[in-house]
Amino acid sequence: MFLHVDGGRIVGTSPSLAHPMSRGSLCIKGWLAADFVGHPDRLKSPLIRQGDLLIKTTWDEALALTAASLRSIQKEFGPQALGVLTSAKGTNEENYLLMKMARAALGTNNVDHVARLCHAPTVAALGFALGSGAMTGSISSLQSSDAILVVGSNTTEQHPLVASYILRARSRGAKLIVVDPRKTRLAELADLWLSPRQGTDVAWINCLLNIIVQQDLADRQFIKERTDGFIETLQATSAYTAEKAEEISGIPAADLVKAASIFGLASRGAIVYAMGVTQHFRGTDIVQALANLALATGNVGRDGAGVYPLRGHQNVQGACDMGALPNVLSGYQLLSSPQAQAKFVEAWGGQIPCEPGLTALEMLWAAESGSLKGLIIVGENPVLSYPHTSRVQKALKGLEFLMVSDIFPTETTALADVVLPAACFAEKDGTFTSTERRVQRVRKAVDPPGEARAEWEWICDLTERLGAKAEYSSPGDVMDEIASLTPIYGGISYERLGPDGLQWPCPTKDHPGTGVMHVSRFPHGRACFRPVLYLDPPETPDADYPFMLTTGRSMYHFHTGTMTRRTSLLDREVPTPFVKMNPEDARLMGIRDGTKVRVETRRGSISVEARLADGVHKGDLFLPFHFSEAPANALTAQSLDPVSKIAELKVSAARLKKEAP
Amino acid sequence: MKAFLPKDQLPFLLEELGERIEVIAPVSTDAGPSFVTWQGQPLDLKDKPLTPITEFLLPHKEALFTYVQEAGRYIFKEEEIPSRLLFGIRPCDLHAIALLDRIFGREPPDQAYFRRRRATALVVQNCTSPGRECFCAGLEAGPEAKDPCDLQLTDVGDGFLCQAETPAGILILNAGRALLKPALPEHLQEKAKLLQEARRAMPQDRSCSQIRQAMERADWEALGRECLSCGGCSFVCPVCHCFNILDLGVPDGQRLRCRDSCMLPGFSRLTGGANPRRTPGQRLRHWYQEKFEDIPQITGLPGCVGCGRCHLTCPAAINRVDLTVASRFVDDSSEARR
Repeated sequence: MFLHVDGGRIVGTSPSLAHPMSRGSLCIKGWLAADFVGHPDRLKSPLIRQGDLLIKTTWDEALALTAASLRSIQKEFGPQALGVLTSAKGTNEENYLLMKMARAALGTNNVDHVARLCHAPTVAALGFALGSGAMTGSISSLQSSDAILVVGSNTTEQHPLVASYILRARSRGAKLIVVDPRKTRLAELADLWLSPRQGTDVAWINCLLNIIVQQDLADRQFIKERTDGFIETLQATSAYTAEKAEEISGIPAADLVKAASIFGLASRGAIVYAMGVTQHFRGTDIVQALANLALATGNVGRDGAGVYPLRGHQNVQGACDMGALPNVLSGYQLLSSPQAQAKFVEAWGGQIPCEPGLTALEMLWAAESGSLKGLIIVGENPVLSYPHTSRVQKALKGLEFLMVSDIFPTETTALADVVLPAACFAEKDGTFTSTERRVQRVRKAVDPPGEARAEWEWICDLTERLGAKAEYSSPGDVMDEIASLTPIYGGISYERLGPDGLQWPCPTKDHPGTGVMHVSRFPHGRACFRPVLYLDPPETPDADYPFMLTTGRSMYHFHTGTMTRRTSLLDREVPTPFVKMNPEDARLMGIRDGTKVRVETRRGSISVEARLADGVHKGDLFLPFHFSEAPANALTAQSLDPVSKIAELKVSAARLKKEAP
Repeated sequence: MKAFLPKDQLPFLLEELGERIEVIAPVSTDAGPSFVTWQGQPLDLKDKPLTPITEFLLPHKEALFTYVQEAGRYIFKEEEIPSRLLFGIRPCDLHAIALLDRIFGREPPDQAYFRRRRATALVVQNCTSPGRECFCAGLEAGPEAKDPCDLQLTDVGDGFLCQAETPAGILILNAGRALLKPALPEHLQEKAKLLQEARRAMPQDRSCSQIRQAMERADWEALGRECLSCGGCSFVCPVCHCFNILDLGVPDGQRLRCRDSCMLPGFSRLTGGANPRRTPGQRLRHWYQEKFEDIPQITGLPGCVGCGRCHLTCPAAINRVDLTVASRFVDDSSEARR
């Protein structure tokens, strides 16, 4: 996309007609992507804490204090008392450098980022099943699908350009099945809308697989030649008859049979999913169940057939690729692999710890219990974005040292000892990797405000102050090192990244990149089925808390709203927090559109306006999490998925009452 | 004044002009053509940039003035407006400027617009190879420039026929006097022939009245269900001009004017939450109503210039001209567009 600059200021944004995915289109947040860049609230100088105040300081002092604090914690309590949360909004180069700093300079594998709360289950489950936790095809290949199963994704609002390809396939005659408790726009346009109860996904997915096998629609040849573990999975799913699945999920058995035959009969079937699948305490199981379905029908490795996880932040794919995760190095190379260890030690010098580190939420819990003492948070606002706000705040306040780098003051920078002002995407060079594995350049359009700096610059500076080497002349230099150590990025260099970018795996300098993965072989040889069983969600509505609360997003805001709520048009669209509820429920409680209500769970309570929406089931509540004045995560629970350690963000038992006017 | 500029002399003319004034020209980039300050880059005079040139008269975001509080009083300061020569603009965009002149020129005239407009020279390039999305001929907005401009160029093969229409146009030609040759009658004949061909190459069923008929037939709610509410059609339309005003910064700051889009629900939402244009279908209908009913009443001209940019940028399966549910990728092959 183009940024239009006049007199050193960004005055507009427009899409590129030549881009292989966007093809001249943008969503509303894209058209307004750069509106926040010159906002007067931007952080312009480094700040350090003195008592209750954050005082302006120099870069040198801020970094010296950071280095000294981290070193003293390291010396006294060991490297495991330190942690780094990187940013899914930062560049690949910045994520790589942060993960290098954590491992080589701080000596800890406590490095993670916000993917823990979005697609960690995808990385875990698809990594196990297919050998790679990324989208298997290109977004544009969706237009050649014959059947598309969209699960837990409000695609027209959250990924409008992906939706445009889904709708394009539909106008070609493809069948569209949408599974969502809410009647989304896509559900209205679908051939079949299935509306399961919250948290019952494994049941109906297993049921689809069961029916497909019974109707002999499974791809026996594909299963035999390219997969392992089918028989065990089949045994596990055979219990999920349409009737049983109806009982658990509330989806009529006839609809399940219909969906199974649509998907089973399609020669190119695609599965598209997002947070509605992953943000559950058994998120990894749900993703695995979807992978089982794709594998059983042979829908992997071809154009228009595959598994399409839709990622949210512009570089959450890249942050994972760069190894900003506690158990892998860049390119998902296992810490436990001696070859990988040796390669990185040789390149970086020094030592790399072998034991996997803590995940994002585990770091906060460690901080709460006092075993984690120092934390670096880059471009993220956990106070608002992580579940159970009050507990997160308590954990961060308990730290001996907290450094936060961001572009705006946030609820998290307010708790920091050192705050660094960062350059935003329009003010620096680097690369981002999109959800379709496309590595693309981002180029500096304007100067950062005040003393703000591109994060890669201070990360290098701090790494050197901590005693490890980080001499790079430019982000391109960093990419060369990434390529030399990361096989899937092996052929990527700035010279090769034109407007099309390159899709990884791109192992060599003459490799054209990979649109469709797993064409003839999976990275780990054969794909793996794994039987998964349905478990009741940890919390279900009861007499005290009769509503089922789910959290999500608005079309006009992004994440914790630090940028979109400073974008005048987007803020105009949705200026205040709200809870969506069923009109019938509202009527019974005497609530009208716009009535102030209090939503409570066992964790906390917030006050918001009610919005009546026909698309919401009776007994359900939907709450977006962008708003600091009504933080949805004050209400959410922290039951973790045992594999991916994602939290249950979609299911909480809640009650609601009218507030006194 | 007429003259002939051989093709290889064009960069030298721009260089001459660039020494006197900031020249904005359609430059070729590997991500597509774009109107930018010309500093010797290769030009793309074939494809039309997606962002219309009207952005230089009505930017997406513009600081109307800066306010500073001093000793209890506010001091206001307007920013300097740069003088610019807009080179290689299309007849459709020129027609859009003529429309904006009429819209913003109604009493009281919009000073912010006219400050920029007065500081701008216009050099138009007639369209001899219209794009697949174009239908300016049906709306009498092209392919030949009919609205006032300073200089009109026509690519007649080995060079450009230059026709100056204003004193500024003559000054532009004088700046490149050494590069010019006399215009010949053949050049004028060639121009007429090429433009006739261009006219014929465009669809013949896209007149204002035909689009009005399509509006009457349209199933707006069905179209609205496809609309992804991105606002893109408003942001690329050279005639769309709605804006929002906000003051950014307390106590010192800027009064900004930002482009807005009636395709967004908040545009028509009233205080208290009621919305007369609640559904995307109603908003889409309003968009057309504005262009084909309301703007003609105000200006006497249709509010659409047939540039087809809304069709190019629309991610939804909406045929923006016929107003039917159909993806642009089903009727046009994606390759043809690139």
